[in-house]
Amino acid sequence: MLVLLFAVLALVASACSSSSDDTSDGGDTTTTVAVEAGGEAATVRVIMEEVPDTDIVKGMLADFNAEYPDITVEIEAMPYDQMRDRIVSSFLASDPTFDLIIVDNPWMYDFASAGFLEDLNDRIAATADYNYEDFSAPLRDIAEVDGGVYGVPFYNYGLSLIYRSDLYEAAGLEAPTTLDEFGAAAAALTTDDVAGIAMQPQKGYKIFEEWANYLFAAGGSIQDADNTVVLDSPEARTALDTYIDFYNSYAPENSLNWSFDESLRAVAGGQAAQMISYNWMLPTLNGADGPAGDLAGKFKVAEVPGGISVLGAWYWSLPANSNVKDASWTFVSWITSEAQAKTRVIAGGAPVRNSVMTDPDVWAQGFGEDYYKTVAAILEDARPLADGPNAEEMINVVGEELNAAVAGQKSVDEAITAAATRAQEVLNQGG
Amino acid sequence: MMRTLRRILIIVAVIVVVFPYSWVVISSIKSQAALSDPSRLIFRPTLVNWEAVIDGGILGSAATSIVVGVVTVVIALLAGTLAAYSISKWRTGGDQTRFTVLLSEMMPPAVLVIPLFYLALNAGVRDTLAAVIPAHLTFVVPVVTWFMIGFFDAVPDELEEQARVDGYGRVQAFFKVVLPQVYPGLGAAAIFAFILSWNDLFYALILAGGNTRTLPVAIASFNTFRGVELGTMSAAILISVVPVVIASFFVQRRLIQGLSGGGVKG
Amino acid sequence: MTRWVFMAPLLALFAVFFAYPFGYSVWISFTNLTITKQGQTKFVGFDQYLGLLSNSTYLASLRNTFMFVIAAVGLELVLGMVIALALHRQTWLKNVTRSVLLTPMFVTPIAVGLMFRFLLNQQLGLIPRILSVFGITIDFFGPRLALPSIIAIDVWQWTPLMILMLLAGLQSLPEEPYEAARVDGADAWFTFRNVTLPLLRPVIVVAIIIRALDAFKVFEYVIAITKGGPGTATETIQYQVYKTGFQFFRLGEAAAMALVLVVIVFIIVIIGYRRMVPR
Repeated sequence: MLVLLFAVLALVASACSSSSDDTSDGGDTTTTVAVEAGGEAATVRVIMEEVPDTDIVKGMLADFNAEYPDITVEIEAMPYDQMRDRIVSSFLASDPTFDLIIVDNPWMYDFASAGFLEDLNDRIAATADYNYEDFSAPLRDIAEVDGGVYGVPFYNYGLSLIYRSDLYEAAGLEAPTTLDEFGAAAAALTTDDVAGIAMQPQKGYKIFEEWANYLFAAGGSIQDADNTVVLDSPEARTALDTYIDFYNSYAPENSLNWSFDESLRAVAGGQAAQMISYNWMLPTLNGADGPAGDLAGKFKVAEVPGGISVLGAWYWSLPANSNVKDASWTFVSWITSEAQAKTRVIAGGAPVRNSVMTDPDVWAQGFGEDYYKTVAAILEDARPLADGPNAEEMINVVGEELNAAVAGQKSVDEAITAAATRAQEVLNQGG
Repeated sequence: MMRTLRRILIIVAVIVVVFPYSWVVISSIKSQAALSDPSRLIFRPTLVNWEAVIDGGILGSAATSIVVGVVTVVIALLAGTLAAYSISKWRTGGDQTRFTVLLSEMMPPAVLVIPLFYLALNAGVRDTLAAVIPAHLTFVVPVVTWFMIGFFDAVPDELEEQARVDGYGRVQAFFKVVLPQVYPGLGAAAIFAFILSWNDLFYALILAGGNTRTLPVAIASFNTFRGVELGTMSAAILISVVPVVIASFFVQRRLIQGLSGGGVKG
Repeated sequence: MTRWVFMAPLLALFAVFFAYPFGYSVWISFTNLTITKQGQTKFVGFDQYLGLLSNSTYLASLRNTFMFVIAAVGLELVLGMVIALALHRQTWLKNVTRSVLLTPMFVTPIAVGLMFRFLLNQQLGLIPRILSVFGITIDFFGPRLALPSIIAIDVWQWTPLMILMLLAGLQSLPEEPYEAARVDGADAWFTFRNVTLPLLRPVIVVAIIIRALDAFKVFEYVIAITKGGPGTATETIQYQVYKTGFQFFRLGEAAAMALVLVVIVFIIVIIGYRRMVPR
């Protein structure tokens, strides 16, 4: 009965999908290469997120196929939530939907320990001139779980301070190195039309990602060396007090549900002077035809106040259930090789290799020595939001408490205590 | 006096409905830089968003949505109409049946999606429309059946009896005599069912993708990590709404008439 | 016999795509099934359900969901009734106004959510900018108004469905009672209270049930605008289930979360339905 129904539906669907293939490619980018019968011909199906770095990778596929004509790479790009749902469902299938995936750092531990990802140690060792140690150390740490290496860095999204250099100059300011200086700069730049800082206090990931920079600046930490949660600290309370003070004094009015998107728009539209955001936003903001319009070119990036950033990064990982791992690794090792990493970064990709960030060619053809030195400095001592099991959930519970405190529903003390307790519970559940 | 009040009320309602659309229209012809201040009203219009959306395959997604909607509605009408007749006229399963039908409408998608996912996986239809259509049936069939029960309730019993006297069998009587009586209702139920399928994001997202993206999935994908792509999203919204507005201009009378034929009564 | 032949297609669909998945979900809710720990799945009895009792976010989302449904459906009913009454007697520009008024329900809810996120944004949105001309500032997504704002968005999108159903109901009413009322010299309000409302009652009940069952699934506006914040002010069950199951990978707990809502709603509907439509 069941089989019959599905068979009928499958017939209907195949009839439909073949016709819709003609009218649209559904947003996919495919490099079609003439593949001879036999040989090493393989198709690598890749799922990626819709971000500037993905567009850059798509643009490099032609070069890849010039070297490896037998490997067809099909990239399906989609937004974050959709991508995660589809990656997870692909893991559950014996015949996966994707042969190569990108993994966000909070998922790394869970995916790796569930056995969803291939250990890449041997493949890295067997790849000539790969120079794995060249990847920035904090980035490598995230993908190393229990002695295995489950991903190679794709691009970083370390947090930085992005500010309007023209406004800073006019006010005679230097990029702030402490929270106090940051507050003073924001106060000096706040006017009736321009907010001192565009913030992202939205519940969940966003507020935690922003506030943790304040926490590090205040000398606090999220977890200690044994991964125990140490959020319940005086430093955390100071950091949250400061964050709330800045939100009330310098952020745009009624911006409690703002996420990264609204902040970016406010800064790009000249309605806010600065924000703590991803360092890779700089090329976007300064690009012609970008969101900033006439303001393009007036943005600069600096380390976050306090100098220790929240680290986020994406990784290339091979699903354990894929049938074309060799071809997938061929592509990954090519796109992350020193030579291609350089091309990718010059095109505006966020760097992950030290050699690229110190390369004068990259400085000259990319976005200037200052930018790459700043990014290198950010990555040097950046720390992820969570390390260990259930990272995604831990980030969300902390982000819920922080947001409640900014909304005035909880006191700073209550919120920090609750955040620390709940984060530890979540961590224990996964252990 | 009453009449003026009525007119004012209708005008206000139309303004409240139309106002957000006007903003969508404006956003769809703004450049990326102009969208950094979404409420700015003076700007140089551009068609880049429309070009990008159409090049991005939105029409293919619309076609997919139509296919899903039509197939779902056809299956739902077939199964629902027959069952509704049986429930209405022959009291199949007693009085509780019609109530059970309605209650099944409340099942949260989150309860059913995982098992449906495994079903699709085992049947080898994951990521095809054949996975999405059954999922849509779970919430479309109950509504259609419920409406049809109401329509059949409104058809006098004598009609079937007369047909039997005239020598028709039960099945023949249904198809030849009773069914034509509820055509308007059938149309209304079909349109209603189509809307439900047309709007679904949750099932379509998890059970299909890639070449089988439905319109809501395509529209949702303008909410990206680099921000909501307001311009292209607005163009996509308009592409998804304009055909329905035009269609509803022609069908709303039928829809209201059809529903008033008994479908909305308990 | 024929009656069961007629029922067969529905029962087949029901068994495969509804009863089976539902039973499967009930089973999952009694296990600790977690996507990332499939090897460790075991039967845990009522543990998932008991755990929910002390899950403050879940309890908040239950409360919010009910407040949302009551307020949204209540407003939609009142507004829908008023507008349907106005449209019922309308002749002027009839087809145009009706088709325009019905359109919001054709826009996919996620797009409606994203649209209003920007329309209502204090610094970037058009509505606060217009209000500020009159010296009004409203913190639409602040701690006090976030849930009401989400409700208002739902009202914008779904009052049309209410209008549609009530208008259909009004047009199906017989003329005679109205003539009798007119002969007795009853005023408009009296006629509405004593003629229209009682006659329309079954339609109203069905409209409420259909709309409410759908409103319990509220999800898109939350994920598009507030992610459940500020604090837990706009957490809803459907969003909780999504987060727990797909973001945190705990399918067992997610199934329990959804089924608790199913049971509560089931009880309410049975009691309410029995009371409002005595058979």
